[in-house]
Amino acid sequence: MSNDTKTSTVLMALAGTFVLLALVLATRSTVLPPPKPFPLVDPALLVPTTMRTSYLQLIHAKADLSDFDCYACHEKGKPPTLRFDTNHNIVVPKEHSDIVMGHGRHNRNNNCFNCHDEQNLQVLQTRDGRELKLEESPPLCGSCHGPTYRDWEAGAHGRTGGYWDRTRGELTRRLCVDCHNPHSPKILPRNPFPPPHLLHPVPSSPELTGAHNRGGRTLLSAAATTKSEPRCSLELAADRNVRAPLLSVTNRHGQNCPRSTEAFPASTYHA
Amino acid sequence: MPDARKPSSTSAGTGVSRRSFLRTSAVAASGLAALAASLAPLRHLNDFPSTEQFLQKYYKELTPADMARVLKRIEEEVEHQYGLRPHVRDLKPMDGVEFVYALNLTRCIGCRKCVHACVKENNQSRNPEIQYIRVLRLPHGTMDLEKAEHNYNPDQVPEPGYFYMPVQCQQCKNPACVKVCPVHATWQETDGITVIDYDWCIGCRYCEAACPYWARRFNFTKPSIPKDRLNPEMAYLGNRPRRQGVMEKCHFCVQRTRDGRYPACLEVCPVGARKFGNVLDPNSEVAYILRTKRVFIQLKEELGTSPRFFYYFDV
Repeated sequence: MSNDTKTSTVLMALAGTFVLLALVLATRSTVLPPPKPFPLVDPALLVPTTMRTSYLQLIHAKADLSDFDCYACHEKGKPPTLRFDTNHNIVVPKEHSDIVMGHGRHNRNNNCFNCHDEQNLQVLQTRDGRELKLEESPPLCGSCHGPTYRDWEAGAHGRTGGYWDRTRGELTRRLCVDCHNPHSPKILPRNPFPPPHLLHPVPSSPELTGAHNRGGRTLLSAAATTKSEPRCSLELAADRNVRAPLLSVTNRHGQNCPRSTEAFPASTYHA
Repeated sequence: MPDARKPSSTSAGTGVSRRSFLRTSAVAASGLAALAASLAPLRHLNDFPSTEQFLQKYYKELTPADMARVLKRIEEEVEHQYGLRPHVRDLKPMDGVEFVYALNLTRCIGCRKCVHACVKENNQSRNPEIQYIRVLRLPHGTMDLEKAEHNYNPDQVPEPGYFYMPVQCQQCKNPACVKVCPVHATWQETDGITVIDYDWCIGCRYCEAACPYWARRFNFTKPSIPKDRLNPEMAYLGNRPRRQGVMEKCHFCVQRTRDGRYPACLEVCPVGARKFGNVLDPNSEVAYILRTKRVFIQLKEELGTSPRFFYYFDV
């Protein structure tokens, strides 16, 4: 074979390869398939409302305040009697069955008249004899919770909103009772918002999961550490064998795990 | 014999044989086809920067008139894309203000409301998800981040035995990300916020690699924001929609904080664990906290980045 023929053979082969490549590249779509839709979080859940609605908020909202008219049922000038059971727990009368008493260590702050005024049920009283309106309760709370009250006054405890720069606008402050139920002040557990979703579904073959090491590792540690809820941990353990459903958090979010609907009903994530 | 073949294979006068012409043209045609095919991905480039954006000057060199034109261009682009006329501003740092964030680890319940409020406020991509805040769950008794978990998803938070530590841009006094940027597309402003000019970023992701807090996020694809979820209150260095191929990160909500308001994550925190303010003002909440509280850590203090984000505990 002469040099000339060799060159032309190589050139022809190269040309053929190029044509083939060109055909493949032109026909194959280079755009990634559209990503799997993630459930959107309902923006209505992301408004800065407080955990509960206090009396002051009801006043501002011009709501019906007839529930707070004590003397619609009680008799004026006649302090109601309190009843306690043998364990010194207060017996909440059925008219007030919506009240859950859980204030203080071992629920020991259970005497209504530690805070309410027995002579005038419409107001609150501090131990040093000051009378406070229902909507002005913070000094009453502060009479026991001094350091917290001090922090609250400085803005370090509790929620704030509006303007940090007081020269430009109002600073929104919240009262103790906007977040804490005065009869049972502990903040209740709530549903978390959904965790981050991963961009791509995790490949099922274990050797490929290195690329998703961050997610994979931490999720496995989640499987190892979540012990509080037996049903969920069982599912996590099951997921451990099959990587793919483990990372698709939405699958088990709100569907497999029982959730309380108290603060954020799970179904609302799937807007 | 050679003399007899010659006239049949060569066209008169040109000296190019039929065979070599065909061969050369086949090679040339396939070469051109291959070139065209290699450029084929450009067909899908739909948000190609406009000439105006391409020729835009560096942020710090823009005159007020230039900036007004740029803001108008951004408003038009956003309106074209989302069908909603936004209000884009270029907010400058205020004098005598240095922002500091304080987060109460005793209070945080790990509900991730801040994460999603931030996404909503800052027009982050919903799919793929870009989130500035990552809430870490840590077992009690350790600050070892190797034991942290961010995909926790129990029924109820807080879970017994754990505490939660939200991590976002720490707005360092000595930011590693700024040092590595080859084009000065990110810098620290006088109020302490490290900002990014999305029109200047080349997407090299050096800053992402340099950040010890994993606070920077890269737009690998075109961000997707549902039209009805767009926040129209925007700032040039803040929450205006980003392009594909640029970095973004928490900027303490410059569109709110430089207007005197609190950041979005703070406002929605249901337990009031987040505190923000001007540390140079002795009456601010953050100054009170840094003075009186047990400010436990600046995250990864030993790196010398000196964050403006403080974690503290109540007694």
